[in-house]
Amino acid sequence: MKATVAEGLEVGTELPPLTVRFTRERLVRYAGAATDFNPIHYSEHFARQAGLPGVIAHGMLTMGTALRVVTNWVGDPSRVISYSARFPRPVVVPDDADGVDVELGGRVSAIEGSLVTVTIDAISAGQKVLGAARAQVDLGVRVPHRDHET
Amino acid sequence: MPITEANAGRRYPSCDPYYVSAAKIAEFATALGDDNARYRGESPIAPPTFAAVISAHAWDQLFGDPELELSLERVVHGDQRFIFSRPIHAGDVVIASLTLDKVRVRAGSELVSATVDMAGHDGEPICSAQATFYHVREAVA
Repeated sequence: MKATVAEGLEVGTELPPLTVRFTRERLVRYAGAATDFNPIHYSEHFARQAGLPGVIAHGMLTMGTALRVVTNWVGDPSRVISYSARFPRPVVVPDDADGVDVELGGRVSAIEGSLVTVTIDAISAGQKVLGAARAQVDLGVRVPHRDHET
Repeated sequence: MPITEANAGRRYPSCDPYYVSAAKIAEFATALGDDNARYRGESPIAPPTFAAVISAHAWDQLFGDPELELSLERVVHGDQRFIFSRPIHAGDVVIASLTLDKVRVRAGSELVSATVDMAGHDGEPICSAQATFYHVREAVA
Protein backbone atom coordinates (compact mmCIF):
# COMPACT_ATOMS: atom_id res chain seq x y z
CA MET A 1 0.00 0.00 0.00
CA LYS A 2 1.15 3.49 -0.72
CA ALA A 3 1.81 5.24 2.61
CA THR A 4 -0.29 8.24 1.72
CA VAL A 5 -3.49 6.44 0.68
CA ALA A 6 -5.30 6.57 4.04
CA GLU A 7 -4.24 10.12 4.86
CA GLY A 8 -6.92 12.75 4.43
CA LEU A 9 -9.31 10.21 2.96
CA GLU A 10 -12.99 10.96 3.37
CA VAL A 11 -16.29 10.07 1.78
CA GLY A 12 -16.37 11.92 -1.52
CA THR A 13 -12.61 11.80 -2.15
CA GLU A 14 -12.05 11.38 -5.89
CA LEU A 15 -9.53 8.88 -7.24
CA PRO A 16 -7.38 9.80 -10.24
CA PRO A 17 -9.42 9.12 -13.39
CA LEU A 18 -8.29 7.07 -16.36
CA THR A 19 -9.35 6.96 -20.00
CA VAL A 20 -8.82 3.72 -21.91
CA ARG A 21 -9.42 2.87 -25.54
CA PHE A 22 -11.04 -0.38 -26.61
CA THR A 23 -10.30 -1.53 -30.15
CA ARG A 24 -11.06 -4.84 -31.85
CA GLU A 25 -7.41 -5.73 -31.24
CA ARG A 26 -7.99 -5.25 -27.51
CA LEU A 27 -11.06 -7.52 -27.61
CA VAL A 28 -9.12 -10.27 -29.38
CA ARG A 29 -6.28 -9.92 -26.90
CA TYR A 30 -8.68 -10.11 -23.95
CA ALA A 31 -10.54 -13.08 -25.46
CA GLY A 32 -7.27 -15.00 -25.70
CA ALA A 33 -5.97 -13.97 -22.29
CA ALA A 34 -9.27 -14.73 -20.58
CA THR A 35 -10.09 -17.75 -22.82
CA ASP A 36 -13.52 -16.18 -23.37
CA PHE A 37 -14.30 -16.93 -27.00
CA ASN A 38 -17.95 -15.94 -27.10
CA PRO A 39 -18.23 -14.83 -30.77
CA ILE A 40 -20.32 -11.75 -29.88
CA HIS A 41 -16.95 -10.21 -28.95
CA TYR A 42 -15.42 -10.59 -32.43
CA SER A 43 -18.13 -11.44 -34.95
CA GLU A 44 -20.71 -8.94 -36.21
CA HIS A 45 -22.82 -11.88 -37.40
CA PHE A 46 -23.11 -13.49 -33.98
CA ALA A 47 -23.44 -10.15 -32.18
CA ARG A 48 -26.48 -9.28 -34.29
CA GLN A 49 -27.96 -12.75 -33.81
CA ALA A 50 -27.82 -12.09 -30.07
CA GLY A 51 -29.78 -8.87 -30.62
CA LEU A 52 -26.76 -6.58 -30.13
CA PRO A 53 -26.05 -3.48 -32.24
CA GLY A 54 -22.57 -4.78 -33.11
CA VAL A 55 -19.49 -6.40 -31.65
CA ILE A 56 -19.30 -5.58 -27.94
CA ALA A 57 -16.52 -5.60 -25.38
CA HIS A 58 -16.50 -8.38 -22.82
CA GLY A 59 -18.24 -7.11 -19.69
CA MET A 60 -15.27 -8.48 -17.79
CA LEU A 61 -12.85 -6.44 -19.94
CA THR A 62 -14.70 -3.28 -18.92
CA MET A 63 -15.02 -4.39 -15.30
CA GLY A 64 -11.41 -5.58 -15.06
CA THR A 65 -10.04 -2.43 -16.69
CA ALA A 66 -12.19 -0.19 -14.49
CA LEU A 67 -10.70 -1.73 -11.37
CA ARG A 68 -7.36 -0.19 -12.41
CA VAL A 69 -8.70 3.10 -11.00
CA VAL A 70 -8.71 1.43 -7.59
CA THR A 71 -5.55 -0.67 -7.87
CA ASN A 72 -3.52 2.22 -9.35
CA TRP A 73 -4.59 4.26 -6.34
CA VAL A 74 -4.10 1.67 -3.60
CA GLY A 75 -0.96 0.25 -5.21
CA ASP A 76 -1.34 -3.27 -3.82
CA PRO A 77 -4.13 -5.15 -5.65
CA SER A 78 -4.33 -7.72 -2.84
CA ARG A 79 -6.09 -5.02 -0.79
CA VAL A 80 -9.23 -5.50 -2.90
CA ILE A 81 -11.65 -7.73 -0.97
CA SER A 82 -14.79 -7.44 -3.07
CA TYR A 83 -15.85 -6.02 -6.41
CA SER A 84 -19.25 -5.98 -8.07
CA ALA A 85 -20.86 -4.35 -11.09
CA ARG A 86 -23.78 -4.58 -13.45
CA PHE A 87 -23.50 -4.27 -17.23
CA PRO A 88 -26.44 -2.01 -18.09
CA ARG A 89 -25.27 -1.24 -21.63
CA PRO A 90 -22.73 -2.89 -23.86
CA VAL A 91 -19.59 -1.11 -25.03
CA VAL A 92 -19.94 -1.35 -28.81
CA VAL A 93 -16.50 -1.49 -30.42
CA PRO A 94 -16.35 -0.40 -34.07
CA ASP A 95 -14.24 -2.19 -36.66
CA ASP A 96 -11.87 0.71 -37.30
CA ALA A 97 -8.50 2.04 -36.19
CA ASP A 98 -9.89 4.30 -33.46
CA GLY A 99 -12.09 2.00 -31.40
CA VAL A 100 -14.01 3.61 -28.57
CA ASP A 101 -12.95 5.40 -25.41
CA VAL A 102 -14.09 4.41 -21.92
CA GLU A 103 -13.72 7.06 -19.24
CA LEU A 104 -13.15 5.65 -15.78
CA GLY A 105 -13.37 7.38 -12.44
CA GLY A 106 -13.89 6.53 -8.80
CA ARG A 107 -14.79 8.17 -5.53
CA VAL A 108 -14.84 7.01 -1.94
CA SER A 109 -18.43 6.22 -1.03
CA ALA A 110 -18.00 4.64 2.41
CA ILE A 111 -15.36 4.27 5.12
CA GLU A 112 -15.65 1.83 8.00
CA GLY A 113 -12.50 1.35 10.04
CA SER A 114 -9.88 0.14 7.56
CA LEU A 115 -12.48 -0.77 4.91
CA VAL A 116 -12.97 1.74 2.12
CA THR A 117 -15.64 1.40 -0.55
CA VAL A 118 -14.97 3.01 -3.91
CA THR A 119 -17.82 3.61 -6.34
CA ILE A 120 -16.55 3.39 -9.92
CA ASP A 121 -17.94 5.20 -12.95
CA ALA A 122 -17.40 3.94 -16.47
CA ILE A 123 -18.71 6.06 -19.34
CA SER A 124 -18.52 5.25 -23.04
CA ALA A 125 -20.18 7.24 -25.83
CA GLY A 126 -21.84 9.36 -23.12
CA GLN A 127 -23.50 6.38 -21.44
CA LYS A 128 -22.85 4.49 -18.23
CA VAL A 129 -21.50 1.07 -19.12
CA LEU A 130 -21.08 -0.17 -15.56
CA GLY A 131 -23.86 0.10 -12.99
CA ALA A 132 -23.52 0.04 -9.21
CA ALA A 133 -19.80 -0.70 -9.61
CA ARG A 134 -18.23 -0.89 -6.19
CA ALA A 135 -14.91 -2.18 -4.95
CA GLN A 136 -14.09 -2.59 -1.32
CA VAL A 137 -10.46 -2.37 -0.20
CA ASP A 138 -8.98 -3.15 3.18
CA LEU A 139 -6.25 -0.59 3.79
CA GLY A 140 -5.02 -2.57 6.80
CA VAL A 141 -4.98 0.57 8.93
CA ARG A 142 -7.90 2.55 10.25
CA VAL A 143 -8.64 5.60 8.19
CA PRO A 144 -8.05 8.53 10.55
CA HIS A 145 -11.21 10.44 11.38
CA ARG A 146 -11.23 14.02 10.29
CA ASP A 147 -11.43 16.33 13.28
CA HIS A 148 -14.75 18.05 12.76
CA GLU A 149 -14.33 20.38 15.73
CA THR A 150 -13.07 23.80 14.88
CA MET B 1 -36.22 -29.36 -22.54
CA PRO B 2 -34.99 -25.76 -22.19
CA ILE B 3 -33.84 -24.32 -18.89
CA THR B 4 -36.60 -23.67 -16.30
CA GLU B 5 -36.87 -22.29 -12.78
CA ALA B 6 -36.81 -25.89 -11.57
CA ASN B 7 -33.14 -26.16 -12.57
CA ALA B 8 -32.15 -23.76 -9.77
CA GLY B 9 -30.04 -25.49 -7.15
CA ARG B 10 -28.26 -27.68 -9.68
CA ARG B 11 -24.63 -28.22 -8.68
CA TYR B 12 -21.94 -29.34 -11.06
CA PRO B 13 -18.93 -31.50 -10.23
CA SER B 14 -15.77 -29.52 -9.51
CA CYS B 15 -13.82 -28.54 -12.60
CA ASP B 16 -10.40 -29.96 -13.32
CA PRO B 17 -7.78 -28.14 -11.25
CA TYR B 18 -6.64 -24.84 -12.78
CA TYR B 19 -2.87 -24.34 -12.55
CA VAL B 20 -2.15 -20.61 -12.32
CA SER B 21 1.04 -19.59 -14.12
CA ALA B 22 3.03 -16.36 -14.00
CA ALA B 23 2.90 -16.24 -17.81
CA LYS B 24 -0.92 -16.37 -17.86
CA ILE B 25 -1.14 -13.70 -15.16
CA ALA B 26 1.16 -11.40 -17.15
CA GLU B 27 -0.80 -12.06 -20.35
CA PHE B 28 -4.07 -11.24 -18.58
CA ALA B 29 -2.67 -8.05 -16.99
CA THR B 30 -1.40 -6.95 -20.42
CA ALA B 31 -4.86 -7.55 -21.90
CA LEU B 32 -6.24 -5.16 -19.26
CA GLY B 33 -3.48 -2.67 -20.15
CA ASP B 34 -2.36 -2.90 -16.53
CA ASP B 35 1.35 -2.42 -15.75
CA ASN B 36 1.05 -2.94 -11.96
CA ALA B 37 4.37 -4.43 -10.78
CA ARG B 38 2.59 -7.00 -8.58
CA TYR B 39 1.36 -8.81 -11.69
CA ARG B 40 4.88 -9.47 -12.97
CA GLY B 41 8.19 -10.85 -11.83
CA GLU B 42 8.98 -14.14 -10.13
CA SER B 43 6.02 -14.52 -7.76
CA PRO B 44 3.17 -12.42 -9.09
CA ILE B 45 -0.40 -12.21 -7.89
CA ALA B 46 -3.20 -12.09 -10.45
CA PRO B 47 -5.41 -9.07 -11.14
CA PRO B 48 -8.53 -9.60 -8.99
CA THR B 49 -10.78 -10.20 -12.00
CA PHE B 50 -8.54 -13.09 -13.11
CA ALA B 51 -11.04 -15.02 -10.98
CA ALA B 52 -13.38 -14.70 -13.99
CA VAL B 53 -10.90 -16.63 -16.14
CA ILE B 54 -11.05 -19.57 -13.75
CA SER B 55 -14.82 -19.14 -13.35
CA ALA B 56 -15.23 -19.41 -17.10
CA HIS B 57 -14.30 -23.09 -16.97
CA ALA B 58 -17.17 -23.64 -14.57
CA TRP B 59 -19.52 -21.49 -16.69
CA ASP B 60 -18.65 -23.74 -19.64
CA GLN B 61 -20.24 -26.62 -17.73
CA LEU B 62 -23.44 -24.62 -17.45
CA PHE B 63 -23.51 -23.44 -21.07
CA GLY B 64 -22.52 -26.90 -22.23
CA ASP B 65 -25.18 -28.74 -20.20
CA PRO B 66 -27.30 -30.39 -22.91
CA GLU B 67 -30.36 -30.48 -20.64
CA LEU B 68 -30.45 -26.68 -20.37
CA GLU B 69 -30.24 -25.94 -24.11
CA LEU B 70 -28.19 -22.76 -23.63
CA SER B 71 -26.12 -21.35 -26.49
CA LEU B 72 -22.96 -19.51 -25.52
CA GLU B 73 -23.17 -17.23 -28.56
CA ARG B 74 -26.49 -15.87 -27.26
CA VAL B 75 -25.28 -15.28 -23.72
CA VAL B 76 -24.65 -11.73 -22.48
CA HIS B 77 -23.17 -10.98 -19.07
CA GLY B 78 -25.63 -9.05 -16.88
CA ASP B 79 -23.81 -8.58 -13.60
CA GLN B 80 -20.85 -9.88 -11.67
CA ARG B 81 -19.79 -9.92 -8.04
CA PHE B 82 -16.53 -11.18 -6.56
CA ILE B 83 -15.75 -11.75 -2.90
CA PHE B 84 -12.05 -12.38 -2.45
CA SER B 85 -10.74 -14.37 0.50
CA ARG B 86 -7.19 -13.95 -0.72
CA PRO B 87 -5.38 -13.02 -3.94
CA ILE B 88 -4.68 -15.65 -6.59
CA HIS B 89 -0.92 -16.35 -6.85
CA ALA B 90 1.19 -17.91 -9.56
CA GLY B 91 1.58 -21.55 -8.58
CA ASP B 92 -1.92 -21.83 -7.11
CA VAL B 93 -3.97 -24.86 -7.99
CA VAL B 94 -7.58 -23.68 -8.00
CA ILE B 95 -10.66 -25.86 -7.94
CA ALA B 96 -13.87 -24.20 -9.15
CA SER B 97 -17.37 -25.50 -8.57
CA LEU B 98 -20.57 -24.02 -9.91
CA THR B 99 -24.04 -23.84 -8.43
CA LEU B 100 -26.99 -22.67 -10.51
CA ASP B 101 -28.69 -20.29 -8.08
CA LYS B 102 -31.69 -18.92 -9.91
CA VAL B 103 -33.44 -19.04 -13.27
CA ARG B 104 -35.97 -16.46 -14.42
CA VAL B 105 -37.78 -17.23 -17.64
CA ARG B 106 -38.99 -14.25 -19.63
CA ALA B 107 -40.54 -13.85 -23.06
CA GLY B 108 -37.75 -14.83 -25.42
CA SER B 109 -34.97 -14.93 -22.87
CA GLU B 110 -33.78 -16.35 -19.60
CA LEU B 111 -31.87 -14.79 -16.73
CA VAL B 112 -29.51 -17.28 -15.21
CA SER B 113 -27.68 -16.62 -11.92
CA ALA B 114 -24.83 -18.84 -10.83
CA THR B 115 -22.11 -18.87 -8.19
CA VAL B 116 -18.63 -20.23 -8.77
CA ASP B 117 -16.74 -21.08 -5.59
CA MET B 118 -12.98 -21.22 -6.03
CA ALA B 119 -10.75 -22.91 -3.49
CA GLY B 120 -7.21 -24.16 -3.18
CA HIS B 121 -6.73 -27.94 -3.45
CA ASP B 122 -6.61 -28.02 0.37
CA GLY B 123 -10.13 -26.53 0.39
CA GLU B 124 -8.99 -23.07 1.48
CA PRO B 125 -11.48 -20.55 0.04
CA ILE B 126 -10.02 -18.14 -2.54
CA CYS B 127 -12.94 -16.40 -4.23
CA SER B 128 -16.67 -16.56 -4.68
CA ALA B 129 -17.92 -15.23 -8.02
CA GLN B 130 -21.63 -14.63 -8.56
CA ALA B 131 -22.84 -13.82 -12.05
CA THR B 132 -26.09 -13.24 -13.89
CA PHE B 133 -26.33 -13.92 -17.60
CA TYR B 134 -29.02 -13.09 -20.12
CA HIS B 135 -29.65 -15.85 -22.60
CA VAL B 136 -31.49 -14.95 -25.79
CA ARG B 137 -33.47 -18.08 -26.65
CA GLU B 138 -33.68 -17.73 -30.43
CA ALA B 139 -31.19 -16.15 -32.80
CA VAL B 140 -32.40 -12.73 -33.96
CA ALA B 141 -32.70 -12.92 -37.74
